[in-house]
This record gives sequence, C-alpha cells and structure tokens, in this order.
Amino acid sequence: MTASGIGSSHVDVAVTINGERVSHTVPARLLLSDFIRDVVGLTGTHVGCEHGFCGACTIMVNGDAIRSCSTLAAQVDGSTIRTVEDLATDGQLSPMQQAFHENHAMQCGFCTTGFLMTLESVDAKDYQEHDQVIELLSGNLCRCTGYQNIVTAVTSVWHGEEAGG
Amino acid sequence: MKPALFDYYRPNSLDEAVGALAASDSSKVLAGGQSLIPAMNFRLSSPSLLVDIQGMPEFGALTVDSGGVRIGAAVTQSTVERSPDASAAVSALRQALRYVGHLQIRNKGTVCGSLAHADPAAELPALAVALGAELAIHNAGGSRLIAAGDFYRGPFWVDLEPEDILTEAYFPAPPAGTVTVVDEISRRAGDFAIVGLAAVVAVDEGTVTSATLVSFGVGGKPERLATAESAIVGFDGNGASDALYDAAFQDADGALDDGHATAIYRQEALASVVVRAARAALDSAQDGRRNS
Repeated sequence: MTASGIGSSHVDVAVTINGERVSHTVPARLLLSDFIRDVVGLTGTHVGCEHGFCGACTIMVNGDAIRSCSTLAAQVDGSTIRTVEDLATDGQLSPMQQAFHENHAMQCGFCTTGFLMTLESVDAKDYQEHDQVIELLSGNLCRCTGYQNIVTAVTSVWHGEEAGG
Repeated sequence: MKPALFDYYRPNSLDEAVGALAASDSSKVLAGGQSLIPAMNFRLSSPSLLVDIQGMPEFGALTVDSGGVRIGAAVTQSTVERSPDASAAVSALRQALRYVGHLQIRNKGTVCGSLAHADPAAELPALAVALGAELAIHNAGGSRLIAAGDFYRGPFWVDLEPEDILTEAYFPAPPAGTVTVVDEISRRAGDFAIVGLAAVVAVDEGTVTSATLVSFGVGGKPERLATAESAIVGFDGNGASDALYDAAFQDADGALDDGHATAIYRQEALASVVVRAARAALDSAQDGRRNS
C-alpha cells in the first residue's frame, strides 16, 4: 500500500496461456515477459532489448501481437495469451515453423519465436504484397540469419513462392 | 525486475482515477504503457503509483461523426488504424499511425498516450496541432478543454499536471478542399522520425492557396513553419520549389543536433520533406478531382 492507501505492490494475475488457466499473485512491477518465462516456466519467449525495439519477446494477447517486455503482467489480467509453445500440434510444426526450418530462416534462433508470433497474429490476406511483408517484419530484428531467408519462408507459406522464385 | 518498486491501482471510475492521482505525490497514468514501461525498465521513470486506465470502459470509445473522430484515452493506435470510419473522416490518422512504432507497439499503445507523452519526434502530436485537435483533461477539481496547439511546451512537456488525465482527443475532419499529408524521414520503418511533417494543404485548380505546416523531430515540440506557410502559397509544382525549400530550411533553423542527425541535416531533410509533401498534396488533389 502507498502512503495514500491506494494501490498495492502485488497483483493477482489470472490468464489463459496456451489453453491452460494459470493464476498467480505477482509483484506489480513484474514484466509480462518475466511472468511467462520465470513464473509460468515457458521459456520460448525470449527477452532481448527490454524496451520494445527488437521484437524477440513478441507474444499474442487476445489475438494481437504485443511486446511482452513493455507490458506488465498486471496489465493482461483476464487475457488469453499465446506463446510460441502453442504453435506446434502434437509435435508437428506449424506450416510457418516448417517453412522456417526448410528455408534456413533461423541461425541462432533467438529472434525466431518473436517473428513466428508476429506472423501468427496477422491474417495473411492482408499481406499479399512483398513490401507489406517487409514492413510487417520490420518490427522484429534479426542479427545473424539475414532477413532474406525469413522473407522467403513467409512468402513460401503466404504467397506460395519457392525460394529463388 | 527492471522497473523500480511501485504500487498498482486499477480504478473503476473516472472519479476513482483522478482521486488516486490527486492522493499520490508521484503517480502516473498507465494506458498502453508503450513509452512508460520502457522508460521504467531503464529507471528513467520511477513513479510510486501507476493508475491503470486501459481497462476502463468509459475511456474505450472511438466515435466518428462527419465532424471528426473522438478517441478515448484507452483506445489503442491499432483500433484507430483499423477503423474504416475513422479513416473515412480523418484519413491522416491512418497515415500518421502507420509511422508509429511497429504493429506490436500499436496493438497496445494508445493515441492519447502518444499525445500526452509528447516525444518531440512523435507523429500524432504534430498531426493534432496541424488539424486543430481538441483535448479533454480531467482532474479531481473538474475538467477543461485545450487546443492541441496550446498543449505542447517542450520535449516530453505538456500542459498537464500530475493529477490530470487526458481523457479524450477530438480530431476534427480537415476543411473541404484540403489535403492532409503526413511524411517523415527515419532510419527504419517504425523508428522515431529524424524529421517529419504534418501538413494540411488547401489546393484550388492545381495551386496551393494556403497551408498549415507542422514539423516534428526538428525542435522540442511540434512547430508551425511560418515562413514555409507563406512561401507555399501559389506553389503549383512547376519550378519555384527552391523558394519553398529555402523557407522551410529557414524555419528549421536551430534544429536538434544529436547522435541521430546533425542540425544542418535536419534542416535539409525537413526542407526536402516540405517540398515532397507539397507535391504529394497537389497530386492527391488532382487524383481527387479526377475521381469525383
């Protein structure tokens, strides 16, 4: 409680994450990225710059991609969250994951989960132009693969284009 | 944990929200948090109390009428960007929003949050000034309306006291016969602008008759370009762009000089953007006539 008696230093956060309901009392200052990794134990969400720039921590909240490092766990109480762990089904990669695999769209893999969640959150029909894909991907940084293979993976799934085509 | 300790409060009403702000000596309104949380991660900001208003239904309304677009404090940038009605009434909103951060930021960040945060390089404050937007502000003592043109004082500095909430912004539709252009130069799509411009340009018979030109990223706040606003009158896209360029260059005298760009670069870049925007306005006006 503050001196004024308003608010509290801990918050109850109840969310559905990848189909499972979880509920924890956490410090108000706990970032959503740390909630997902350290409290829920899902470490596929990565923490990069921690100020909303790099996109490594991108997850979905109520269907929209957001930066989990620039959001408090307290802010998403009651929400439905999806992380990269939810993409594969019964051990089978999603089509986009499979395309990343086949096109060598990752090297170290650190940024990959953020890219995948950004891509998962949008409707491919809104991104039928090559330039639209480039602009969409501008919100995620990759520092080792190079973007070309990532773009190729995306267009192979969304536009049916083969590498080098 | 990156942010310093604070208490968190989710009010159920405007009264509770402004009451909490008034009762605490170091409180902050939390809407999307897309500027505030990163600043807290770096401990550039360490409020003792966050008053989270994003879940409050009374701030969640986006209403559009023929006169303009009214945007509540909790309305995200993406919500406005995706609204066909908002774009039909004030098309420049979508133009400006496409430059704001990235998709993932806009899905959480709010329009009113950007307006109140007042980053000197932000698009929405300049657009608000160019269009003559009106801002509604509440505190425990009452409410007031302020024109966007009077709201901005300097970098991250607005006419807003710690106990105030910016509850909504009203963007009026631009006058008939005008074209609104938002343009900028940045290193990467989604980065803050090195320089940018929000322009409301009146065009008649292929000639500019008047314009409101507001820069961002040049000085500490959105700035009207008085010399360029005079020089642009009569501009028809044929030659004569040098005078407009020079006028805008002069308006940008004293531009920010920092690690992103030198002052002289910003002057040149802004002058180029002003000429480019003037041509875009003429092209757009011509297309509009052809299509009508």
